This record gives sequence, structure tokens and C-alpha cells, in this order.
Amino acid sequence: MKRVILVADDSPTIRKFVSVALTVKGYDIISCSDGMEALEKLPNNKIDLLITDLNMPNVDGFELINIVRNNSDLKELPIIVLSSLGSNDDIQRGLECGANSYLIKPFDPKRVLYEVSKYLN
Amino acid sequence: MDSKNSMENVFSKLGDLKQFFVFGQKIVPVIQKIIDFMSDIVPLLENVNNSIQDSTSKIPKASNQINSVTSANEIATSEILDIIDDMFVDLSTIKNGLAELKTDQNSEKIKALNEVVEKIEMDSSRITISLQVQDITSQQLASVNHLIDSVQDKLSSLLSDLGKQQDKPIPKFDPNSITGQDSDYALSNGTFNENARYDRSTEKQDLVDTLVLENTKTSQEEIDKLFAK
Repeated sequence: MKRVILVADDSPTIRKFVSVALTVKGYDIISCSDGMEALEKLPNNKIDLLITDLNMPNVDGFELINIVRNNSDLKELPIIVLSSLGSNDDIQRGLECGANSYLIKPFDPKRVLYEVSKYLN
Repeated sequence: MDSKNSMENVFSKLGDLKQFFVFGQKIVPVIQKIIDFMSDIVPLLENVNNSIQDSTSKIPKASNQINSVTSANEIATSEILDIIDDMFVDLSTIKNGLAELKTDQNSEKIKALNEVVEKIEMDSSRITISLQVQDITSQQLASVNHLIDSVQDKLSSLLSDLGKQQDKPIPKFDPNSITGQDSDYALSNGTFNENARYDRSTEKQDLVDTLVLENTKTSQEEIDKLFAK
């Protein structure tokens, strides 16, 4: 059975980058453009992993991770942050919220693949 | 006695009046200078006013142009990514084909061809990294737009104070007004990182990895402590 990954990023090109990198390796990708949309899609799609940006409209990545970690059904979901925010404070905050991995943009598709396979294989 | 007092009073008033006229004679040139200055400065202020109004009215156009650039780059990047996606599928087909064609006689040749395929895959990956410059520049351009928007707000407020805004209302920039824009590429309502940089060095990621490692270690130590109790 194919593993399903939810990608939340307000940049359509980043969504596509991730999709191109992961679909070729057999993952199913569901995309959304902000945290609010991600929260709507998470309970209904049997998501195995979440890849999220931090800077997003409506519900940002920090809030999204917080909500996921406080939800009894989703709290074990592996979360990879994909962000251009690279200050120590942002990274620390992302990790404290509950992200499992943190990748800085521009990212290497191979590194994304490595992080994904770390949690799903 | 009363009439003497009255006369002294009249003379005193006349003295005051004389002093007033003397002062008036001195002040008139100064007032004249102020009037001349005002008549010089008013057209100048009017000119400044018109220039501000003119500049302010051009701001939405500048914002639109910046967003058109972002939008066009997004579409072009997406098209390139579609091609790369197809290439990955084709390369995978070639790899499978080569595996089927492999015999004892041609194994060296097949190995060489596989290496070429892997090099093309690696190059395609490198192209996708380079293409991410689009995301970084779009964030920087969004930051510029935000700055332009703030300047427009300030200028509009200044014009409003000067009573000019009512004559010609200045349209605000509307990101959805860009024509010919694919709906998937509609500009979002301004989340951006003004410090986003296209940095291919691994320095930042190494720092992140160190922090992630420290975080994991701390968590493990906390778990160990908990079990030790």
C-alpha cells in the first residue's frame, strides 16, 4: 500500500518540488496551501507523514504542528519542517513545537527523501 | 482739574497710537516679505503635492508588475518541473529496460549506460535545487511589495491631510487583479520571509542538524531520567 504524505506550503512551486521528488519513489502526495487546509485534510486521508512550511497564511506551521501534537489521533504523526526560516530561534521553536526534522530551503530532494524514508520505512 | 486729566489721557493715548504707527512702519516690510515668501512657496507646495499624488498613483502599477513577474516565474518553474517529472519517469523506464537487456556479453556496456542514466538523474536533482531560487525570490519580491504598500499608505494619508485625496482617489493594489493568471498561482495574502536567501552552502542545514541532534539527545536524557526514577 502506498504511503500518503501531506504537503502544506503556500508556494505552489515548493509543493510541486516535493511532489516531483517523492512521487517518483512511490509515495502518494496530497497538497494544501495553508495550515487551515492541512487541518481539514489530516483526519480524512490516513496521512502517514506531514511536510510543512512555517510561514503560511491563516494557520501557520508552528500552530499547525502544535495542534497536531495536541491531537490524540495525530500526535505520533512524523512531521518534517521545510522552511526558509533559518535563525536559531525559529529552528528551536519549530523543534519545541514538535517537528521531527527541520530542512532549510533551498533543499536537496535527496535529503527530503532520506528524511521521509527515515520515518516511513 | 477733570479736563486737565482728560487731556493728559488723550495725549497718552495719542502717544501710544504714534508708537503703534512707528512699529507698523517697521513691521510692514517684514509682513511684505512673509507674503512674498508665501506666494513663492504655495506653487512649490502645490507642485510637491501633485508629485506625491502622481507617484502614489503609480505605486499599484509597480506592485502589479512585481506580482506579474512572480506569477510568470512560478508558471515557468512549474513547467520545467513537469518536464523533470516526466524525465524521471522516462529514466526509470530506461533503467528497467537496461536491466532486462543485460546479458553476460553486454554487462559492461549496460553498466556504463546505467551510470549515464544515474548522472542524468543527479543532474535533474541539481536542477530542481537551482529552481528553488524562484521560491526565495518570490518571498523577497513579496517583501518589496509589502514595503511599497506601506509607502503608499503613508503617502495616501499625507495626501488626505493635504485635502488632495478626495479629488482623485488612488486605487489600492489588488493582487487578484493580475490578468492572465492561472488560478493555482493566485498570489497569497502575504506570508513571506524577508530574510530568505538562496544559499546553497550546507552551513545552515548543518547547524539545524546539530540542533535537532541536541534536541533528540535532551529528549532521550529526559526519558532515561524518567525511567531511572
